[in-house]
Amino acid sequence: MAMSRATRLARYPKEEKLEVSLFPFLSIFLCVMGVLSFINVLNSFSAPQKIELTAQLEQGYKVAYQIFSLPDGIISVPPVKYLDKLRDAVDGIDKVVITDILQRREGAMFRLERHSGPVMGLATEPDVDDILQAMQDIRTLNEIALKANYLYEEFLLFGIYPNGSQAYQKIRDVMSFTQDAASISIGLEPLDANWTLNLKKKTN
Amino acid sequence: MRNLISLDSLTDIVSNSVGILIIFAVINLIHDNNKTFQLEIPLEHSTQLSPVFFIAKDDRILALDTDTIFSNATLQATSGAAASKRLFSLDFHDLLGKIDDENGISFYARDTQSWPKFNQLQKRNSELRNSMSAIDGQKQFAYFFVYDSSEDGNISGSGFEAFREAREFLKGRSVKSGWQPVNSEAPANICDKRFRGGCQYLPSYLGDG
Repeated sequence: MAMSRATRLARYPKEEKLEVSLFPFLSIFLCVMGVLSFINVLNSFSAPQKIELTAQLEQGYKVAYQIFSLPDGIISVPPVKYLDKLRDAVDGIDKVVITDILQRREGAMFRLERHSGPVMGLATEPDVDDILQAMQDIRTLNEIALKANYLYEEFLLFGIYPNGSQAYQKIRDVMSFTQDAASISIGLEPLDANWTLNLKKKTN
Repeated sequence: MRNLISLDSLTDIVSNSVGILIIFAVINLIHDNNKTFQLEIPLEHSTQLSPVFFIAKDDRILALDTDTIFSNATLQATSGAAASKRLFSLDFHDLLGKIDDENGISFYARDTQSWPKFNQLQKRNSELRNSMSAIDGQKQFAYFFVYDSSEDGNISGSGFEAFREAREFLKGRSVKSGWQPVNSEAPANICDKRFRGGCQYLPSYLGDG
């Protein structure tokens, strides 16, 4: 007597196959992707990135004189870190000159670091005399270091913010008319509006 | 008895993920505040390479075909259209030109709609990619005039992003590039050393070696 299908199935149950549900795995996978995306979004809204300019392929003895060009003017950040050592390596009138420059720069840095509001509020219209003085100081220091056979060289680094080209152009125009600037290396880089400056006092 | 889907595991996973998110958010906020990024900047240097000029404005980049531009400018000059520092059409991608001894030929970019977008660098056989790929790194370098602001109503921003993308593209091909920021008052210009001693276009070192 032919066996009905139902009877056959009841008598010979199918082997139970092990089925793995992918639902938990997919849930965890999607959650991880969500977490990573959230972290990415969070990073974009985090506090403004602080930046410090250095030269690509910078050799250890080259020091950057940073100038940030903004719509309202410029912020100059002169290097002071290694001038003490350079002063110790020279004698006589050169020592006096370096002391003079160092005092001027430390005064400028003190005013920058003391500022309590937004850093960008420090921008001032570039003054021709200040620009010429800065170029002269850089050239003088480089010549003193060269004469003393001391490894130290200053160069200019410009950070250009959006709408900051006018101030930058003014400085370059002034520089083109002074011999002091002819021997100074220059670098420049476009900066994003949300990049702020690191004016923290540097220690040796 | 109906089979019900248990949501216990799903609830467990969601609640744990939320907890992880909160912990990561707190750690992230604490961690980033005092971090300073060092931005490495290449230095300008003299070179025997000759410049190939580009203008970057908003999200567009235009390669300046100097042969075409100079011959069009010459035609305008000989016809008197360029006299007295007047603006005249260069008949090249809606550029206007002006000629004077100090600045040489200046380029005023009004409408950039006909210019290629910088994202075309990623597309094979695009006009922009071909023009940059054609630069011979042994003899030439790319020089960009980059607008530092955007037109009112244009959400693309300044030309900075377009310039950075182009610079990276060229760096991958060992082609040096230099740049200067420009604006509508002080636009891109190609000057002549005979009339202006400080006239120079220099690359920065953005290549291997």
